[in-house]
Amino acid sequence: MTAEIEKPLLEIISEHAVGLTAAPTRETPIADLGIDSFSIVEIIYEVEEKLGVDVPFNANENPFGDMATVGDLIDALDGLISKK
Amino acid sequence: MSRNVVVTGLGVVSPIGADIDSFWDGLANGRCGIAKDAFAIEDLSITLPGGRIRDIDERIDTLGPAMKRADRVSQMAVLAAEEAIASAGLEFDDETGARTACIIGSGIGGQGSFDRTYYDMLIKERRPHPLTILRVIPNAPASHVSIRHGLRGPSFAVASACATATHSIGLCADIIRGGTADVGIAGASEAVLTFGAMEAWNAMRILADETCRPFSKNRNGLAIGEGAGLLVLEEEAHAKARGATILARLAGFGMNADGKDMINPSMEGAAACMRAALQTVDVGDPAALYVNAHGTGTFLNDPTETSAIRSVFGADADALIVSSTKSMHGHLLGAAGGVEAIASILALNNGVVPPTINLDEADPDCDLDYAPNETVERRIDVALSNSFAFGGMNAALAFTKA
Repeated sequence: MTAEIEKPLLEIISEHAVGLTAAPTRETPIADLGIDSFSIVEIIYEVEEKLGVDVPFNANENPFGDMATVGDLIDALDGLISKK
Repeated sequence: MSRNVVVTGLGVVSPIGADIDSFWDGLANGRCGIAKDAFAIEDLSITLPGGRIRDIDERIDTLGPAMKRADRVSQMAVLAAEEAIASAGLEFDDETGARTACIIGSGIGGQGSFDRTYYDMLIKERRPHPLTILRVIPNAPASHVSIRHGLRGPSFAVASACATATHSIGLCADIIRGGTADVGIAGASEAVLTFGAMEAWNAMRILADETCRPFSKNRNGLAIGEGAGLLVLEEEAHAKARGATILARLAGFGMNADGKDMINPSMEGAAACMRAALQTVDVGDPAALYVNAHGTGTFLNDPTETSAIRSVFGADADALIVSSTKSMHGHLLGAAGGVEAIASILALNNGVVPPTINLDEADPDCDLDYAPNETVERRIDVALSNSFAFGGMNAALAFTKA
């Protein structure tokens, strides 16, 4: 599943990554994206709209607390989508 | 010891100029920012006279991601705040931030985001954007300005329709006088040039068909504009200690309610409000008094306000000078009192009364000197700015020279 959604996810993340000058890859540290906590909520909204999926995410549960890279974020989103 | 409040900074975004210099250039040259325009969302559209600001998108882009995703009402407030704070020469540190109030109101809030959300939900059957609530809450403009500058004193939004900014400025001054803050950013922002809001205003049947003609016999309603007007207020000793340029004194503030009617204005209420604002002011030479009128260009407001001015000033009413700058920038609703307080201060300091344009037919019920169509050069000692809102809520500010 991850391979299928990686490209569109990278595109969505890229639109929010105001801190980057180059396109993000799996190895890009999340800290370099220049996004804040609310960007995650916006990214998930766009993932749901563009990919036609539900992401059962509750901002109160902080499931992204341990992420370090964009790859971690993609895997976490993939995990939430697969859980459906 | 009494604490006096002075004005040390001004910031404006308006249909006749999106910064203080161009705003004043527009006022002093009688420029009209009102034109027929289509207010649309996707396939739905209504065409009405309105005052839209067209040249601020690039400046909004420079404000960063938090502002890019905010509603226009907050974007315009932040643009005005950047100018006001810069013109006051203020940079906030931990200590001054804690002693600075931020009171920025809005008549309605994030109307464009309301429109977008309801269009998406009801027409497209889509869900609301997750930022919808943060975009529409009326305190968003105050919050964004507070957050950008680390302002941690009293901060909230005021809502009193067309008196919002005037109440915000007056309340902020009271907070500074009371000692809870030394500095304040105060005023309002309004961004209702959207399909939904303009349809709702049009349903009231009080909008002008061509343009706003205050005090003119052929007036037939108001023309709505968008924008923001903010003042930096400061305790006088605080301003002097840091060597700030004092632009004016906020010498008086009056507020009251008609307690009568949602729409029809009360002459007695407006007069009592002006009297309250002038209670602490030595008016002196009535010929040196400028009244920036509420002057909406509606059938009812203009003669009622004229009678109220006559009631307050008696025979002196024929010596003073009145104008409605709404004839140029339109009615900015909640933000009106903010941009008009700025117009009043600029008139005071420049010795120039901005005209009431589109005044092309005398009305026997509107019989004061309204600076018709031409700028008037005159020494001004006191500038009174009136705001009388739907729902019978009145507020007025009196400014004197530094």
